Amino acid sequence: MYKYRAQLTKGDEIRYISHLDYAGVMERAIRRAKLPAAYTEGFNPHLKMSFASPLSLGVTSDAEYMDFELTKPLCQPEIFDKLSAALPPGIRLIKLKPVKEPKPCEGKKHKALMAEVEQGIYEVMAPLTGDWDAAVKAVEKYNGATEVNYHRVTPKKTRDIEVKQYMLEPVKIGMSGDLVKLTMNISITQTGSIKPAEILELLHNEYGLPVALGRALINRSKLMGQGKDLIDLV
Amino acid sequence: MIKLEPEILQAVEKPARYTGHELNAVHKDWDEVDCHFALAMADTYEVGMSNLGLKILYEVLNNRQDTACERVYAPWTDMEAIMRERSIPLFSLESFTEIKKFDFLGFTLQYEMIYSNILNMLDLAGIPIWAKDRNDEASFIVGGGPTVYNTEPIADFFDFFILGEGEEVISEVAETFVKWKREGKPGGRKGFLKEVAKLEGIYVPSFYNVKYNEKGYFSSIEPKEPEARAKIYKRVIKDLDSVHFVEKPVMPYIGIVHDRIMLELFRGCTRGCRFCQAGTSYRPIRERSREYLRGLARKLVDSSGYNEMSLTSLSSADYSCLGELVDDLFSDFEGEKVSFSLPSLRIDSFSIDLAHKLQQVRKSGLTFAPEAGTQRLRDVINKGVTEKNLMTAVEAAFKQGWKQVKLYFMMGLPTETDEDIVGIARLAEKVARKYKEVKGKWGVTVTISVSCFVPKPHTPFQWFGQLPKDEFERRQRLLKDSITERAVKFHYHDARVSVLEGAISRGDRRISQVIYQAWKDGAKFDGWTDLFKEDVWHEAFRKCGIDMKEYSERTRDFDEPLPWEHTTPGVSKDFLKREWNKAVAEQLTEDCRRGKCSGCGVCPSLKVDIVDWKRKEGEVKANV
Ligand code: SF4
Repeated sequence: MYKYRAQLTKGDEIRYISHLDYAGVMERAIRRAKLPAAYTEGFNPHLKMSFASPLSLGVTSDAEYMDFELTKPLCQPEIFDKLSAALPPGIRLIKLKPVKEPKPCEGKKHKALMAEVEQGIYEVMAPLTGDWDAAVKAVEKYNGATEVNYHRVTPKKTRDIEVKQYMLEPVKIGMSGDLVKLTMNISITQTGSIKPAEILELLHNEYGLPVALGRALINRSKLMGQGKDLIDLV
Repeated sequence: MIKLEPEILQAVEKPARYTGHELNAVHKDWDEVDCHFALAMADTYEVGMSNLGLKILYEVLNNRQDTACERVYAPWTDMEAIMRERSIPLFSLESFTEIKKFDFLGFTLQYEMIYSNILNMLDLAGIPIWAKDRNDEASFIVGGGPTVYNTEPIADFFDFFILGEGEEVISEVAETFVKWKREGKPGGRKGFLKEVAKLEGIYVPSFYNVKYNEKGYFSSIEPKEPEARAKIYKRVIKDLDSVHFVEKPVMPYIGIVHDRIMLELFRGCTRGCRFCQAGTSYRPIRERSREYLRGLARKLVDSSGYNEMSLTSLSSADYSCLGELVDDLFSDFEGEKVSFSLPSLRIDSFSIDLAHKLQQVRKSGLTFAPEAGTQRLRDVINKGVTEKNLMTAVEAAFKQGWKQVKLYFMMGLPTETDEDIVGIARLAEKVARKYKEVKGKWGVTVTISVSCFVPKPHTPFQWFGQLPKDEFERRQRLLKDSITERAVKFHYHDARVSVLEGAISRGDRRISQVIYQAWKDGAKFDGWTDLFKEDVWHEAFRKCGIDMKEYSERTRDFDEPLPWEHTTPGVSKDFLKREWNKAVAEQLTEDCRRGKCSGCGVCPSLKVDIVDWKRKEGEVKANV
């Protein structure tokens, strides 16, 4: 089997499709691309593919990663062109690399893509609804706090999450056109993480960040492991 | 252009229903075309996107240089609430243009229970609900599809209807429009309707006078404009290889109801089940050729990336070259992991073998439709299936490893007695015991799904009075109590919905008031059991002074004029009467596909003929 890693986007056109739907869309794209894809065994064969950290509904991304396998080795440009041509609006292929499996004597195989993820960088854009100075102050106050709790309510359970343990860097604030731009560098661990939308909600509700929450747009710009972009880990 | 704020899309269920941008969707420059056509289904995105007819017409219209066709579906209740609150009008999924800017808004009429949703969509679009209130600027509201053989209950909401198969006529409509527009729209709105009424298969309801007699029954409908025909026959495609079929389906980003390729093998079914409206309205049988289908299958897999293909038709196992076609497809798609399925099975071993071949290892469950519980009643409805056929078929299936069988039945058929109801339970139990006999142990599930019979226009049962709701419910209880075997599971339809469907499907123009009233009072998504508001509908009938039971339960006289006879699929009243008489005499009628012509009238009146690749030349000819 020949394994490849692709870095893909999730554009504005499809920001509201789920992670599962995104996987289905990619499966059909690979089929349209007529790549010699490898399938799972069993009654209901599926393409052998795996994804990195799932994205929340409504978030776009320049950093979606997918590992997939082919039964024949094709050269990188051929795969790149064929797959690019078969993608639907809203998904672009940014990079593609073969995954070099370590030789058996070198020890362990590559970790699963999902397990490699340690860090995500997100940008939040939202219209300013008040004073710029107040906005800067709100972010400073949040950054200065030692402990911040987020009350997460899901249909299944409700719990409090300590947020600061996941903040790898202070939240940065700037302006982009007439939108406030927040940059968040968040740690993603096997046991949990915090979502950028949740940080934004805290900033707005608890720290008085004057932005229009309902019009905020979030984009994931990077996903990293061991301090490197996931595409460079292969 | 309508732009939805993130907070709206974050707040609704399945926001991708409203965001478009799907692969293969066609985007044209609005100002570059003369005709703007919005194709609609008054149901959710997932249901609408699964409709084959809409997929075909979307491509046919977009293949025209002068036309842009876009899609629109009914927003779910959460989205509707937001749209109303914020005054967001209904919009299309390609250019996000307000629907009322389109020249045409075409609804596919799939079942009666979406009529309230049609009114709701018109209202959300800001288009007057009643056709008479639309001015020259308003879109033309068009309807077509399965319920078009009695459009009277919705006639006052529509500008015109298209009867029958749409591939050719939809293009003629666009052409007529473009010509009329380029000539400076002579005669205004009515001028166009007069032009379009000249096309065959087009019914403009406002061009007719309807009369009722002293008993209050429908008595006549007569043209009042020279362009209007006294009788409108459906359109029919003579050679299905000659018209466009879907080649590049719009690919949803989210799961839809039929999330697979639909390859239509043929149209029509002449097995002659007497309850079945599809059986009379899609006559005669016309098959696509094996070569054409093979080419289509290739194009569809390539353009969609789907790995599942359903070989669809009213009765797919009847396709004359099915065995060969399946072999072709298996070899064409070898190594591509494409799976094929048949939506319905005939009750015989050919079907079982084929299903076995198609499903290979996955034995998810088989579905059969004996429709009635006793041989006597199966003869009444002309379902040419015996208990022996069913037992042979399930025996073969159990031997092949199937463990789940679903059996479809109907309740409330003409002449039905309690014995026939109990017969359903007995038959299902025999099937379950057959499993024990074959396998030597239990482990089978036999699910019986029982719907409430709704008599439909242009069928031999069109005169028959439907059972009252209470009687349906009594028979449902009787059946439930008659099941003694644990392996048999029982599902049944909501009789409340079926009797309403019964009233509307044989309604006349006065029913439009009721539909309007019910919609005003909050009826929508009536086909969704949890949203169906029975009391709203009953209240609407009461407010309009109309007795629902007159429409659902009254047995019509043979010589009584019926409000749907002027819009016809071509089956003659004589044929329907003959079939009714044979039904009560428990006599069968042969399938005309290979057997002798039963004289239904379709072939001669529409000048078409059967296309069956294995029917011997010259053996049977309808008297064309
Ligand atoms: S006219 Fe005869 S051959 Fe044609 S569909 Fe009717 S019964 Fe069949």
